[in-house]
Amino acid sequence: MNRRVGPAPVEAAAPKLALPRAGLRAWFDQHQYSALSSLGRLWARRSATVLTVLVMGLALALPLLLSLAVDNLRGFGGSLTDSREIAAFLRVDATAADIERSVAAVRALPDVARVEVRDPAAGLDELRRLDGFGEALELVGANPLPSVLVVAPEADIDAARIGALADAIGNIDGVDFVQFDLAWRQRLDAALALSQRVVWVVGFLLALGALLVVGNTIRLDVAARADEIAIVQLLGGTDGFVRRPFLYAGVWYGMLAALVAIIGAGLAFGALATPVLRLAQSYGASHALAGPGFTACLAVMAAGIVLGWFGAWAAVGRQLARGKPQ
Amino acid sequence: MIRFDNVSKRYPGGQEALREVSFAIDSGEMVFLSGHSGAGKSSVLKLVSAQERATRGSVLVDGRNVGALKGAQVPALRRSIGPVFQDHRLLVDRTVFDNVALPLVIAGMPRAELEKRVRVALERVGLGARERAQPQQLSAGEQQRVGIARAIAGKPSLVIADEPTGNLDPQLAIEIMGLFVMLAQGGTTVLVASHDLHLVSKLRKRVLVLDHGKLIDDFRPSPRPEAA
Repeated sequence: MNRRVGPAPVEAAAPKLALPRAGLRAWFDQHQYSALSSLGRLWARRSATVLTVLVMGLALALPLLLSLAVDNLRGFGGSLTDSREIAAFLRVDATAADIERSVAAVRALPDVARVEVRDPAAGLDELRRLDGFGEALELVGANPLPSVLVVAPEADIDAARIGALADAIGNIDGVDFVQFDLAWRQRLDAALALSQRVVWVVGFLLALGALLVVGNTIRLDVAARADEIAIVQLLGGTDGFVRRPFLYAGVWYGMLAALVAIIGAGLAFGALATPVLRLAQSYGASHALAGPGFTACLAVMAAGIVLGWFGAWAAVGRQLARGKPQ
Repeated sequence: MIRFDNVSKRYPGGQEALREVSFAIDSGEMVFLSGHSGAGKSSVLKLVSAQERATRGSVLVDGRNVGALKGAQVPALRRSIGPVFQDHRLLVDRTVFDNVALPLVIAGMPRAELEKRVRVALERVGLGARERAQPQQLSAGEQQRVGIARAIAGKPSLVIADEPTGNLDPQLAIEIMGLFVMLAQGGTTVLVASHDLHLVSKLRKRVLVLDHGKLIDDFRPSPRPEAA
């Protein structure tokens, strides 16, 4: 039943067409309105929001985990000191003065972290401890072993520079020959470089996936609110005004997804830390697993926000075009 | 306020909605657009509010050539017009207050001023007590009054209404039309599209009659004789 209500007297129309106030306060009010209304909409569809955030979060977490794994592998490789050391065998007839000169020459080279002298007696003891060598060495009268310089390169240099260092050591006067497992280092570095490339490719594909997820979610939201958008446009809402709540929704999705990714990566690394440390120790390394640091977290957060924002921006464009004069 | 000069509108399918239509409406005037369904009434309103562009001719609203408006000028024009729709087009998930406040939020009005204007607009249409209601809790007539309150909340100098009484019974239709008459008396230019000739004739206002896209009559009623 319709109710009859007598209308109140009408005031004169405003003389100007446009409403006043377009200052900072109004700008802030509009952003606040958009930010809160978009949050309210996400909350109103909690289950759909959680699903979207989880899918996006997974898409962000995987490249983060891969990237952290490669970084840790690089650190782990760098800490495998035995495989990086260069053994410089001096001439058998080298005197103490010759050895001192050789050590000084090696220390003067770039990329050298440490030089240790292993004298013939120490080398002989080491051989005796190896199975099968003890009795054979009894047959040898004098100690046939030369003095050896064990050179540890700096931790952050690659195989090529270690190879160059080994060559430089080999050229030092008094050094008979140099032993260094360059091939192993090269393979490790190549594997790490490949892994890094894989991280970029996978990261790009997953970021694209995240973009499509948020874009599609916002597109469905836009379609569901097509009537509302049309009304807002008819009432004079600018493209920015129409787009803003969706952009905020994209940003919220991205931020929440980044949080999920960071927490997920943190939990995964927490679970792996102890077994990895044990594995590293078994190889003589002391490398502890490094989880996502502040910079990585910041990067993931920024990536999430940018992906959410851009996905939303792209999704709203088509609907906006419908409100333009034809 | 509104001027059409030899305006034609042809839609992409080939349908010619308006043919060489010319008229002018002064500020503060109330004018009805009348004619059968498909005569071109809605097209006129769409051209005024820049939902469509004229194929030929020019449309001037408050001195602005609507066809030449670019980008951000279109929303600015629309903010100066209060539209009323046959189907109300209220946001069902917002309260009456929020619906009426929408054009003011769009315009970036400060909250205190916004609240004042919304309440004034709701009082004008007799819905001051229903601001917290949801649209679906209101009758059709009340919903249309909310639509009118939304249209006038920003104090536009022009209100356009497309069949605002199309879904209402005759008594409610007269009440709604009464609101438009009062708006015009207050100085607002009002352009109402209606096919209800009986209702239109009762109000004794200027009527532009369209037929198959052509303006066939511009009827101005003679002043009511003064009572002796």
